[in-house]
Amino acid sequence: MKRLVSGWTTGLTVLVAASALVPAAQAQTVPRGADGKPNFSGFWQVMSSAAWNIQDHHADVNVPAGQGVVEGNEIPYQPWALAQKQENFENRETADPNGQCYLPGVPRIMYMPFPFQIVQTPTYTAILFEYVHAVRHIFMDGTPHPEGHIDWWMGDSRGHWDGDTLVVDVTHFDERTWFDQAGNFHSDALHLVERYSFVDADTIRYEVTVEDSKVFTRPWTMSLLFYRHKEENFRLLEYECYAFDDLFRAVE
Amino acid sequence: MSTRDSHRRDGVVASLRETMADLVSLRSSGGPVTKGGFTVSTRFSSSIIAIVAVLAVLSLGATPVAGQAPLPTPPEAHTWDPPRTPDGQPDIRGHWSQQNRITTYSIQEGTADRETHIGITGQTAATGRPIIDPPDGKIPYQPWAAERAQFLFDEHWGPSKIEYIDPVSRGFLDGLPRINYRGAMKILQPPGQVIMINEYNHTYRVIPLDGSPHIGSDIKLWMGDSRGHWEGNTLVVDVTNLNEHTWLDIVGSFHSDALHLVERWTFVNPDRIDYEVTIEDPKVYARPWKLLVNHGRMDDNYEQWESAVWEGNNAVEVILGAPPKLRRSRW
Repeated sequence: MKRLVSGWTTGLTVLVAASALVPAAQAQTVPRGADGKPNFSGFWQVMSSAAWNIQDHHADVNVPAGQGVVEGNEIPYQPWALAQKQENFENRETADPNGQCYLPGVPRIMYMPFPFQIVQTPTYTAILFEYVHAVRHIFMDGTPHPEGHIDWWMGDSRGHWDGDTLVVDVTHFDERTWFDQAGNFHSDALHLVERYSFVDADTIRYEVTVEDSKVFTRPWTMSLLFYRHKEENFRLLEYECYAFDDLFRAVE
Repeated sequence: MSTRDSHRRDGVVASLRETMADLVSLRSSGGPVTKGGFTVSTRFSSSIIAIVAVLAVLSLGATPVAGQAPLPTPPEAHTWDPPRTPDGQPDIRGHWSQQNRITTYSIQEGTADRETHIGITGQTAATGRPIIDPPDGKIPYQPWAAERAQFLFDEHWGPSKIEYIDPVSRGFLDGLPRINYRGAMKILQPPGQVIMINEYNHTYRVIPLDGSPHIGSDIKLWMGDSRGHWEGNTLVVDVTNLNEHTWLDIVGSFHSDALHLVERWTFVNPDRIDYEVTIEDPKVYARPWKLLVNHGRMDDNYEQWESAVWEGNNAVEVILGAPPKLRRSRW
């Protein structure tokens, strides 16, 4: 946002314009920080089967049915990539990188069936995940992505505000993560733009635009909701995927 | 090299030092992690020999210390009035790291441990040791537990079973108090909470200050359940719900799931926090004992970067020469 010229007439104009754009109830009822920005701090989780398949799908063994979260339900794969996706799907029981308990990458971890905690400050936001104790660091101090390319499972996240929407640019990805258990995939050229905005005080709309010129013919977008956990004494527990008892002594 | 690169390089070196201290973790790698001239500190593309070589280089600046390993600086009187967070907590936000050259190779005093360490690293004895009580620097095991600890120590060079390998070397979480003498830690203080995020293996702790009770005792966690409150400039944290799978160092210093910690994080001055923890476990120790670690403030602009430990971990294959079964997610 451009810096505003001081003067009460300008300020008044902006106030009027802002109140016309933002529904009054939303502007007043969502949590806000000392900086006046929406404050997303708290415990959140999706109610979605996107982690199994981000597109429309009916139920299968241990897979709940779901309406897709991809706008238009179509993922614009390049021809070779569509063939790769289908191969991934056929082999998903062994080929899914989550089966190795690797960090699931972004955006997949955002819609896995585990809670996460957002801790927001004006210049930095942490997202702490129950699943494999993953941490996302979102730097919001205006610093750019580091030079690269860097292969990071969870990418490098830099955030800024677009009005009341937190926009996070994520790059520097490893090519080994998938979008879901159905084999939807990307390359290390993956670039995400995430948009976090309040629907109401207890619901966040999460939109993510996916760009990867090596795999897709055009950018595409997913949209989900995060719901606030309000249980008493709620806290994140642990899902140490690779450390369960029957794996503890797992050498043949 | 830009300031930024320089900053990162320092971070890499610091991280190398810290992680290399765990050298017998034999954490060899899942492949090179450099691209575009960047080195990412969390996975290692070289062999153990190279790791030892790196350690040797890093150790050149170390001052040899004869005799006993140095103890952390004892807590000082702290009567100052620190800055406050909006909800009135002493403001300890920022980046911190331990200042005592404590490795997680062995936390106990004693030449047997250190000779082994020195033999591997050429690192001399320039490492600290954190046990302040009992004064001899030894963990006060019950007799049966002392035998068990000796057995694990004897095994650590050539473990005969997977469960005799350091859990951290296998990619598991440090647990407590081990994470607190490892490395870079970021502290956040949203209202009513203290949150500690450790760079190594992307570990975090959320400490509520609202007087809420511990979770049910049947729930066991690698990082436990922490509940805290401030006493003056000291954050007092009670930690329960710990599982029995973590160790206190590489050589098998151990505890049971009856482990109970009382941590005292004293904000001594703007750049120093003293961490003193009372460690109690009636199943394993003859009496409670204490560690002390001095934490110092790091550059406020430090950025924690990804530390993907499990993903490149071949410790089991390297140590036992056998591949583990296919791991699988079960959610």
